[in-house]
Amino acid sequence: MSPHKNIYKPIEATIENIIEETPTIKTFVIKPREHFEFRTGQFIELTLPGAGEAPFTPSSDPNIKDTIDVTIMNAGRVTSMLHACSSPTTVGIRGPYGKGYPLDTFEGKDIVIVGGGVGLAPLRSLLFALFSRMDRYNKVVLRYGARTSKDMVYKHLLPDWAKKDKVDVVTTVDVGDPSWNGNVGLVTTILKDMPVDLKNAVVIVCGPPVMMKFVTLKLLDLGFAPKDIYLSMEKNMSCGLGKCGHCRIGRFYACKDGPVFTYEELKDIPEIWD
Amino acid sequence: MYYIEVSALDNFAQALCKSYAVFSPFAKDPRSPGTDYSYARLSENTPSVFNPYRCIEPLKAFFTHPLQKVAGYFGNDDQAALSEKTVIFGVKACDIAGHKIQDFVFLEGVDVDAAYAFKREQTILIAGDCTDFKDVCHCLAWDILPHPLEGFDLSLSPLNDGFLVEVGSKKGQELIEAHPSYFTPAKESQISVRRVKREGLQERLKRHLFPQNLVPKDSVQALMRQGYNVDTWHQFMLTCVECGGCNFICDTCHCFLLNDKPQGQVNSRLRLWDSCQYANYARVAGGANPLKTRTQRLRFRFTKKFDFFVDNLGMPACCGCGRCIEVCPGKIDIREVLKDVAKKVAAAKT
Repeated sequence: MSPHKNIYKPIEATIENIIEETPTIKTFVIKPREHFEFRTGQFIELTLPGAGEAPFTPSSDPNIKDTIDVTIMNAGRVTSMLHACSSPTTVGIRGPYGKGYPLDTFEGKDIVIVGGGVGLAPLRSLLFALFSRMDRYNKVVLRYGARTSKDMVYKHLLPDWAKKDKVDVVTTVDVGDPSWNGNVGLVTTILKDMPVDLKNAVVIVCGPPVMMKFVTLKLLDLGFAPKDIYLSMEKNMSCGLGKCGHCRIGRFYACKDGPVFTYEELKDIPEIWD
Repeated sequence: MYYIEVSALDNFAQALCKSYAVFSPFAKDPRSPGTDYSYARLSENTPSVFNPYRCIEPLKAFFTHPLQKVAGYFGNDDQAALSEKTVIFGVKACDIAGHKIQDFVFLEGVDVDAAYAFKREQTILIAGDCTDFKDVCHCLAWDILPHPLEGFDLSLSPLNDGFLVEVGSKKGQELIEAHPSYFTPAKESQISVRRVKREGLQERLKRHLFPQNLVPKDSVQALMRQGYNVDTWHQFMLTCVECGGCNFICDTCHCFLLNDKPQGQVNSRLRLWDSCQYANYARVAGGANPLKTRTQRLRFRFTKKFDFFVDNLGMPACCGCGRCIEVCPGKIDIREVLKDVAKKVAAAKT
């Protein structure tokens, strides 16, 4: 028989805990039954046995080796079935896939992180990874927007992050309500006057495609270079390995060449925001 | 180089049936001169047939299947059914060229598809020269000759009363060494006959293709980029019924979707061939769909073949077999689409 492992077969894992983040978003704490590691920004395929699998980028600290958090919005067939689960539930995982965030190239720089809605999930993993070795980075500037205050994830963590040394946090909601006394406006409205050195900064953006489009345009307008803007491309990723074809963006596959790309890599490809 | 007589080839194929699953072409309509050929499992006492041109089915169908179990979880039930040792007769140069894409996808990159690799190891390809062509054949447009030069284990070239046998691999050499009685060393004169026959067919095909005025191979990538917004995509889409036939019959198309279904204690993971012409091909959870229209999807099929693969493999993903032309109920002709793009790109420049 072939010396290669079966790339389509998931390893067994258990949903150990489920945390309700918002009415439509839950964080699943998953314990793999075999050794499993990922680099921040890489994604996994999560299988609900007999029902199907879907790609997610873990939201937990990659330094934690025994469990993986995955923050999931109830948005489709597999995610709605996952939301109906209680712990413990047996699931499967494959991966990790993709290249992840190039942490080495972020060293010595000002790191701007712009999140929209549940897009903060992969960025939380990145933040944990950065916080674990903050001596290597100049500063971390987080800008986070959600539709309403009820749609914000990790609300309990945001104040702690804001208190950290060399970390600057500003949040906003698209639509205000009586319980919210912070900024109101799209996330693009909190991007100007950031305390960063444009020449020595990188920006990492994750959110819905329309948010990433307007954030990117704003960042270019502010003077950030296309090579310094990192975007998480959401595509239909079935295999995760560059074989099934679905996630093609121009000459790339989002799964194996991304899912994080610089705007420099993508800017000449038509219709990237669709 | 070896020589084998017609009757000896039959006996050789019969002998192979004892230890291999042997597939060989058969004529769908033996009395019709332009008949299609199809692969079938060779049974005892049926003569093997030499097909003058490629079969209907793509070669990929021997290595991946339209619906196939690729894993069981979480038990020990692992690889999809073990494949038996297989010999395939009747493979043509276009099949081999197209199959390079399948090998690239499933054997290279991030990880190897183990079941595919195993099948590939277990399979012996016995290719053959084309001695005729179909109306839709246009391999020469992609610089693929109508006789195989590489990528086969053995290759047969029909002479007047037998076949010249070229060895293309160690597996092919071992197959001959295991059946020495059927083969004799080829003579120089036989090799010259092959050359004359090959040149003759190539010349005929060239004359067939000349009036078609096909786009040059080295222009297609630029055409995809410059022609991204031409109305060709819309015009040719109008007759697309989204059947996916062009993808499924294509020897270079490889897209698939993984699907799961419960099956007792062990769940099955299935792999289904997928088509980029289907409306939900690129749809993501929440409903966003970067390929909403048939126009976008037709263009996606072409940019994959003629831009993506030129970038990633250094060759366009078309072998000129013309299968997609024959299969399309909407009469969408890959040659005509490319020519139309070229025409509109040229018009936009002037």
